[in-house]
Amino acid sequence: MKKRGTILIENIIFIILNLLFLSVLALFLIKQGSGVVMLEESYAKQIALLVDAAEPGMTLKINMDKAKKISDKNGIDFKEVLEINENTVVIKLSQESGYSYAFFNNVDVGKPYPDGEFYIMVVDKK
Amino acid sequence: MTDKIISVYWFAILVLVAGGIIAMVSVFYNSSYDVREIEANILSNKIGNCFSNVGYLKQEVFNNGNFLINQDNFLEKCNLNFNSTEEGLQYFSQVNFFKGNDLENSFFEVAQGNKNLKADCSILKDYEKISKCVEKSFFTLDKSGNLYLIKILSVIDKSEKNVK
Repeated sequence: MKKRGTILIENIIFIILNLLFLSVLALFLIKQGSGVVMLEESYAKQIALLVDAAEPGMTLKINMDKAKKISDKNGIDFKEVLEINENTVVIKLSQESGYSYAFFNNVDVGKPYPDGEFYIMVVDKK
Repeated sequence: MTDKIISVYWFAILVLVAGGIIAMVSVFYNSSYDVREIEANILSNKIGNCFSNVGYLKQEVFNNGNFLINQDNFLEKCNLNFNSTEEGLQYFSQVNFFKGNDLENSFFEVAQGNKNLKADCSILKDYEKISKCVEKSFFTLDKSGNLYLIKILSVIDKSEKNVK
């Protein structure tokens, strides 16, 4: 009877260690996938491509809920997350980082403004 | 005793598997998103739309047998801006016109951007550090019904932002 108890404890410790190990691995994967640097790059490039493909008169509505969550967490005002400087898209999700990507479409994008978790951009002729 | 040995091996295998996963994930997330091919496709479509609309050459571009577009006003007429945050010109575009009865010799050509990038198109396409090239071609008509072939070559470098 005494031996059975030892086996049970060993198994429980074994399972707990396995779960702990897998949790650490899962946390690592989640953290990698939602990194600030990666999101900044992906948003900047996607928005630049959207502007490239846009025609004057279009209004672009971009869902940036992930950016909002991260910027709120990093103490960045959501109004400052997306900027257009001449023909460059600039995304800033934390105080230390930022990413810019240029677009070739010679249009007037104006100042993008947030609307909830979305960003609105109006594309006009230059 | 046997169980303990199995546990040690089990954890050694776990460490190996986790190490592999971590290495693969790190390699995946540390590489840039390469959007140059999509960008070059958009650029080609944009230039195509600039020259032709619903199968006919635009009158702002070609009127009474004359081209109203040239090397100097190409970017302006097609609403393009080739300035970039990166050093040097990162774009190159070339448009060649062929008459319907002679698809070998181009009778009109217009190009803008960094001409050096064109050489990258003949190098191995698998080598990701060089520029991305996209060539598109389509047939179009003028208002008199003459057939033309338009070939558009778009090249985008931007290696600094798209390749790590």
